[in-house]
Amino acid sequence: MQQIASQNAPSANIVIPHFAFGSLAWLTATLLIAFSPDAFTAHYFNPKLLAITHLLVLGWISMIIFGALYQLIPVILDVKLFSEKLALFSFFTLAAGSLLLCFTFWNFLLGSTLHLASTLIITAVLSFAFNLFKTARNSQNKSIERDFILTSVLWLLFTVLAGFTFALNLKYAFLKPEHLKLLRIHAHAGLAGWFLQLIIGVGSRLLPMFMVAHNLNKKKLKTAYYCINIGLVLSISSFYLNTILDIIFTAVLLISGVFYFLLYLKEAYTKRVKKNLDTGMKQSVLSFASLLLACVISFILLFFSHEGYSPRLAIAYGSLIIIGFISSLILGQSFKTLPFIIWLKVYKKLIGKIKMPLPKELYSEKLLNLQLYLFFAGFFHLLLGIILCHQILVTMAGALLSVSALLYTLNTFKIILHKPQHHEKTK
Amino acid sequence: MRKLNKEEQHIFELLRGVIDPELMVNIVDLGLVYDIRHKPAEEKIEIEMTLTSPGCPMGDVIIEDAKHLIENHFRNFKVEILLVWEPAWNRDLLSEAGKKALGSI
Repeated sequence: MQQIASQNAPSANIVIPHFAFGSLAWLTATLLIAFSPDAFTAHYFNPKLLAITHLLVLGWISMIIFGALYQLIPVILDVKLFSEKLALFSFFTLAAGSLLLCFTFWNFLLGSTLHLASTLIITAVLSFAFNLFKTARNSQNKSIERDFILTSVLWLLFTVLAGFTFALNLKYAFLKPEHLKLLRIHAHAGLAGWFLQLIIGVGSRLLPMFMVAHNLNKKKLKTAYYCINIGLVLSISSFYLNTILDIIFTAVLLISGVFYFLLYLKEAYTKRVKKNLDTGMKQSVLSFASLLLACVISFILLFFSHEGYSPRLAIAYGSLIIIGFISSLILGQSFKTLPFIIWLKVYKKLIGKIKMPLPKELYSEKLLNLQLYLFFAGFFHLLLGIILCHQILVTMAGALLSVSALLYTLNTFKIILHKPQHHEKTK
Repeated sequence: MRKLNKEEQHIFELLRGVIDPELMVNIVDLGLVYDIRHKPAEEKIEIEMTLTSPGCPMGDVIIEDAKHLIENHFRNFKVEILLVWEPAWNRDLLSEAGKKALGSI
């Protein structure tokens, strides 16, 4: 029989800890939002917001991405993962590093604790990057999706190294530009270089597959790739030069990249064979609306950066990308991947011997629907609370998001802890 | 697909019991089964089929399920699944029932 992609999948025991930790980190972050609304109504460079943001981007989003990539890279590149042991090592260092970094920022400890947390994160990212590049080297696949994924890992490396440098700079102040400028470089390398490109690389392969869409024009993805990467390199120089024309030009490039990716997804959506979208896919579609809104706000910020409300818009912009776009996408896509991973782990050897449940029967659809509605209600309150600088609204948002995160966590553990149900096969 | 004999038609109907767990449609209505060869002299059954995508995460499950199902009904036969990518699967291969199940009509 010809080799098929799913035969390269690694052991589920590599992926499961990432989803378990990630869901708990998401729940913790939403609770922190509920109990610290002032983090979202003050200037964005405040200890609590730094702590919540880093718990979200490292403990929740990057954790799930690491786990998902260890599962998906072999499928996308048609090759086995280079090292499963290294994958577990990166899990433990990322878990320890993200928790310690959150604690450090919350208490604004700029000394050795911060350096230890940064070192753990850098170690996790280096081992992750090494594993991925060694895996890619063994593959014949030279697709644009591969380029997006590998380039995003390079930007992740840049982001964490820049973050570490800025952490040192907070204490020793050896860099010339002001902190906020450095923070923007660090944030944009992470958001556009790492998350956005990774999502494009993985999403452009998986979303058409889930919608069963074929014969798509990949030129749009190539254009997106060049727009985003040239835009990012120029944006770093323009933050230093600080000329408005440079900044506008790079913003246009970055947003064009997003636009071309969305055009590609629109084509997939139009050509899809599977017309009925399930809850996970509906949440994914809605998450792209947040991305579009974030692009609009980024332009407003460019032209009105001197106005008094720009810090609020900056927090709204970051929340739209981190919670509205990426978290929402993960919340939906988790139920398109994790049930299949566990189902394969539990039932692969029992195929044809017992009557098996379907992967979608491993979780509660009711909880998933409720999770979706609570998430959007919570996120809407959060945006409103940020824009109106209203702490009660942010607390309500945190409460709604916490309940949504609790349902997500319950469903995640229901899948992870699934035990085989033995029935004699009747078909 | 070429014209199937009575045994091959029986196997074709049996394969309706293999469901794509992601799409929730059986592999016959999805148009994944390209050919079936029932060879009594060799005690062998060959099923030529494809997947909706080479990256299909449930690919080997669908194939294993099809193999076990036919083996259970033809206990003295060796069942071989031949996975092919040409011609590439497309929406025109869906049956009317398959289109309806996916919401395409």
